[in-house]
Amino acid sequence: MADLIVQDVVKRFGRVTALDGMSFEVREGEFYCLLGPSSAGKTTMLRAISGLEQLDGGRILFGGRDMAAAPIQGRGIAMIFQTFALYPHLTVRANFAYPLERAGVPAQEIRTRVGEVAELLRVGHTLDRLPSTLSGGEQQRVAIGRALVRRPQLLLLDEPLTNLDAKLRHDTRAEFKRLHRELGMTMLYATPDQLEALTMGQRVGVMQAGRVVQVDTPRSLYAAPQDTYVAGMVGSPAINLVPGTIRRRDGGFAVDLPFGTLPADAWRIHLSGGEPVLFGVRPHDVLLGHHPTRGPGFTATVHLTEPLGDVTLLDLDVNGAAMKMALPEERALGLGPGTPIEVTLSAADVHLFHAETGVRIA
Amino acid sequence: MTRSREIGRAGWGWTAFAGIIALIYFFPVMWIIMTAFKTRPDALAVPPKFFFTPTLDNFVGVFFRAVISGGGAAQATEFPLYFFNSIFIAGVSCLLALIIGTIAAYGFSRYPLKGNETYMFIILTTRMMPAIVVVIPIFLMFREIGLSGTYAGIIFLYTAFNLPFTIWMVRSFFDELNTEIEDAARMDGATERQLFFGICLPQVKAGLAATFVFGLILTWNEFLFALLLTGVDTRTVPVAMARTLGGEMGVDYGLLAAIVTLFLIPIFFVTFLLQNQLLRGVTFGTVRK
Repeated sequence: MADLIVQDVVKRFGRVTALDGMSFEVREGEFYCLLGPSSAGKTTMLRAISGLEQLDGGRILFGGRDMAAAPIQGRGIAMIFQTFALYPHLTVRANFAYPLERAGVPAQEIRTRVGEVAELLRVGHTLDRLPSTLSGGEQQRVAIGRALVRRPQLLLLDEPLTNLDAKLRHDTRAEFKRLHRELGMTMLYATPDQLEALTMGQRVGVMQAGRVVQVDTPRSLYAAPQDTYVAGMVGSPAINLVPGTIRRRDGGFAVDLPFGTLPADAWRIHLSGGEPVLFGVRPHDVLLGHHPTRGPGFTATVHLTEPLGDVTLLDLDVNGAAMKMALPEERALGLGPGTPIEVTLSAADVHLFHAETGVRIA
Repeated sequence: MTRSREIGRAGWGWTAFAGIIALIYFFPVMWIIMTAFKTRPDALAVPPKFFFTPTLDNFVGVFFRAVISGGGAAQATEFPLYFFNSIFIAGVSCLLALIIGTIAAYGFSRYPLKGNETYMFIILTTRMMPAIVVVIPIFLMFREIGLSGTYAGIIFLYTAFNLPFTIWMVRSFFDELNTEIEDAARMDGATERQLFFGICLPQVKAGLAATFVFGLILTWNEFLFALLLTGVDTRTVPVAMARTLGGEMGVDYGLLAAIVTLFLIPIFFVTFLLQNQLLRGVTFGTVRK
């Protein structure tokens, strides 16, 4: 069993608490993403697992073994760093060979394995060059190769796409998925980018201020964020949150919003009525036109349009409330600022959160 | 090809302007080198002569003293020894300072003490003191313990003299390094010793070369300590040069110029040899991402 179990891990730097009771589990062979903004403690967590940082509390088990006392190099863990961290004075070949030489692997075997890795990552033509002469994508692949050459049981990836341009990011995402499928290795991937987490992760742990606040599959995270923080982290463009009030009415509930009332009879909620709430709807779930079967309709005015290529983002003014909606580019043609339109909120896809705590109600 | 394009880009006017400025800056050096090849009357001519018949007499004079009255063979001077002294003392002390300073700098950069920056500042303050303030006590101390006039004495002194600068400079090179590279090496199984020698040192090689050359130039030119702390056998060129001034025949400018010209050669040679490293050393951290 090569499960990774992180239990109540605490890490402080002086007065700053980077990890504050962090707990999560990664299953063997899983592609697990840690998603969080830049100060959430993702890098610290990966460094703690790798052994580069000592813990101030909690424990880390890997394959049933407590990692606290394990030496860094004996953990069976490799890491890919944000800056690639290639050895600049060594050729690609020597970069690949470095971890093997340290481990005392015989020269013949080193040659074979360097060759294998170079082939796997298609960097055979660069073996005798220095890292600084490679393109960004090649450097990235060399960094991956150097991590894989030791055949680790767990691969840690610390925002590995941050230093690549948009096109390469897309290619490299596919590359990571391919490697995961081919090698079946456990991968723990830290990223601030929800797109990376949702496209690659089999499960995603959303981090906030040194803790994991929700763990789920990308689909479930998107469909049922447990609070406004997760709702805001997952999904792009960001979810619309509109303040409203819960009202009890015959046989059920309704939500009073600045621009009208939303029937909430179908929701199983336990409230007495009168509570302030935040109503959430994703820009993709705001539909253009009148669709009585899908949900209630409202009139709105287009405030601003942001063409993003295939999708156009519209800033709407719905009776004084600001809201964004996303439309396929061709359907947004002719909807300039000031255009009055009819929108429908897809009732199946709306969210309700407590106004104060941000916790999901429905 | 390249040259003509560069001139083309800035225009002839600016290129000529830059050339003139360079000529003005270089003029004293040119003058001293020219004087080295002049006879005594040429050297003293007013206005200065720019066209003259060059002579190597001055260079011969550096190494052989003509016996003025009567015949007899020319007598060898002590200058070969002084040149050896200058090279030996500056080379060894700069190398020592580089070795000790690099180790210290690595420590300050990677294993900071409590009050690390205070220590660094204290090290710097040792260079704020004008040399003249400490030279008398050092002279007395050296005489007392027998270091005065020895190679060991002046080498130790120059090593100490070069250390603060070396530590500060090399530390800044270590600080510039991407520490993720060291983390990667740690995970790859490198020991602390392998980290230092195999990962960090190779990355600051250019910086070390630059530091060494700067230290070498400072030490090479040093006069005050050398004047007081070297003896007959350990005298360096600047001190020996000063001693040729004066005398009953007045200043022999040709001879002096020849010594200066010879004195320029080693430092010019080292700088030329390491010019690429120097350039990379001084631009370290400004060019790399």
